[in-house]
Amino acid sequence: MTGFIIRRVISMAVTFIVVSIVIFLMMHSIPGGPFDGYEMPLPDNIKAKLMATLGLDKPLWEQYIRYMWGALHLDFGVPFQSPGDTVIGLVAHAWLPSVTLGGLGILFGAPIGVLLGMAAALRRNSWIDYLASALATLGLTIPVFIISTGLILVFAVWLKWTPASGWGEPKRWILPIMAYGAVPLATYARYARATMLDALNKPFVSVLRAKGLSERRIIFQHVLRNAAIPMVTIFPAMFVGIATGSIFVEAMFRVPGLGAYFVSSIDKRDYPLEMALMLLISALYSISYLLADILYAVLNPRIRIEGRAR
Amino acid sequence: MTELTTGTTASVPLAKPDSVRQRSPLYFAWRRFTANKAAVGAGIILLIIILMAIFAPVITTTGPNDQDFLTNALNFPSGAHWFGVDNLGRDFFTRIVYGARVSLGIGFSAAVFSLLVGLPLGALAGYLGGRFDWVVMRIIELFSVVPPLLAALLLATVTRGGVWAIILIAGIFGWKDVCLLVRAQVKSFREKEFIMAAQALGASPWHIVWRHLIPNSVSPIIVGFVLAIPLAMMLEASLSFLGIGVQPPTPSWGQMINVGMNFMFYYWHMAVFPTAALAVTILAASLLGDGLRDALDPTLKGR
Repeated sequence: MTGFIIRRVISMAVTFIVVSIVIFLMMHSIPGGPFDGYEMPLPDNIKAKLMATLGLDKPLWEQYIRYMWGALHLDFGVPFQSPGDTVIGLVAHAWLPSVTLGGLGILFGAPIGVLLGMAAALRRNSWIDYLASALATLGLTIPVFIISTGLILVFAVWLKWTPASGWGEPKRWILPIMAYGAVPLATYARYARATMLDALNKPFVSVLRAKGLSERRIIFQHVLRNAAIPMVTIFPAMFVGIATGSIFVEAMFRVPGLGAYFVSSIDKRDYPLEMALMLLISALYSISYLLADILYAVLNPRIRIEGRAR
Repeated sequence: MTELTTGTTASVPLAKPDSVRQRSPLYFAWRRFTANKAAVGAGIILLIIILMAIFAPVITTTGPNDQDFLTNALNFPSGAHWFGVDNLGRDFFTRIVYGARVSLGIGFSAAVFSLLVGLPLGALAGYLGGRFDWVVMRIIELFSVVPPLLAALLLATVTRGGVWAIILIAGIFGWKDVCLLVRAQVKSFREKEFIMAAQALGASPWHIVWRHLIPNSVSPIIVGFVLAIPLAMMLEASLSFLGIGVQPPTPSWGQMINVGMNFMFYYWHMAVFPTAALAVTILAASLLGDGLRDALDPTLKGR
């Protein structure tokens, strides 16, 4: 088991470093620099001096190593768009609405999705099965900003039940949370249904039925436990959606979160902030995949053996 | 594919044993597909949208960028302008119809691109195995660590948007699904007897892959192709929505939603129609893809 984890961590670290290099190069290959966007162009000598103080005149590999060395010490530099702040401070500040929103979205979407999926598996071809598949298909295929537009149109513009946008009092949280929750809900509705059906069709269920166990005990004590393993393992992947979901959901509902910085930092060539955000997201991605792998290996010993043979 | 000829599902009645006729696997796939009402409906809707995109100049006589007097801007839907008029005085129905061209064009081109890259790489990785396979799998792993949308954001800024850039970006993030599907299929066929026979006869690896393995991978190829279309359309819409995709005045639904958001509270038609158009098209394309996958490869069902 330790061997398995170590192997996965090493492969993750290598991938992560390669990805960070690729992102760094891509970031610097965007034409234009951080000081080109002003209304009045800066004189060349001032620009050169600014670039020199920020270390932007150094060769790229040196800049990369300096940045990553700083990042190892949790120093991500100073964002060009607000020089009075640090990247860490800015991210920590903007992170709160994003995480609150994302976390509540998952808490709203995942349980409903699981319940829907379970109900759909137990009552196949009933209205609830069709409802679950319809919701799953909608949530997984339609982009989040479409779902958001739909929610705003229905609940804010036509029914006037909720405010359309903003952040602050919890009343304004309802729509963004629903928009966020759509993906976890859809994922779990589809996944729970598939895993439940899978477990229900296993021979041990027939044995339990033949033994005369009540249907309730079969489902809750035996089937659910078997179906729960794959459901638990995709849970970390839900958090990944927070990052990309935040760009659209926060833009649609005007939430002062991290999302807006993704676009603005690229737009303004704000290298330190951009790199920090990309590193953050890639780290989140890698860690949740690693967690999912480890969880799966812990819960399902067959994988470990397969991994060793490979 | 061998399972297709022998195995049946409950919904496909087999002919009586005494009147056995050789049926191709595609026949059974077609039977399974037509039994799936959602997929058939989605296919018909998609066909209508494709026809609309192709015959756009016939459907609406005005051009997508023709402006009416600005006093008519933001007019609500009426007999003359079915979907109303947008903020720049352009007929919104025309914009939506021409938007289908952009959306579907990008979807199809990106899928073709994914196929051109993913198919040879997947087939070779599956057949050769070893070091080549290792390299391809590591590259795919790299792509799975970066969220596609964020990388696409970066790439779109590097290339400054535009239709071809979007197609390229969608292809870059779409080829790996095709590659994985083809690789899995080829890998399972590599050890089969007919491949061994071909090898024993001295066929070159290229001949084996091209004449034996790829024809046997038709189902994953079709599935990968069709499923890549809605993904590319979604990427285009998302990037255009953020303002770094297809640049105005080219009509793109994602871009129209972005503009429509600002007018949504009173001029509802500005947001409703592009949202509905995009949702219906993407939904139809994915349902069709899912239906084809279930029909062509019943073993993948439920994934």
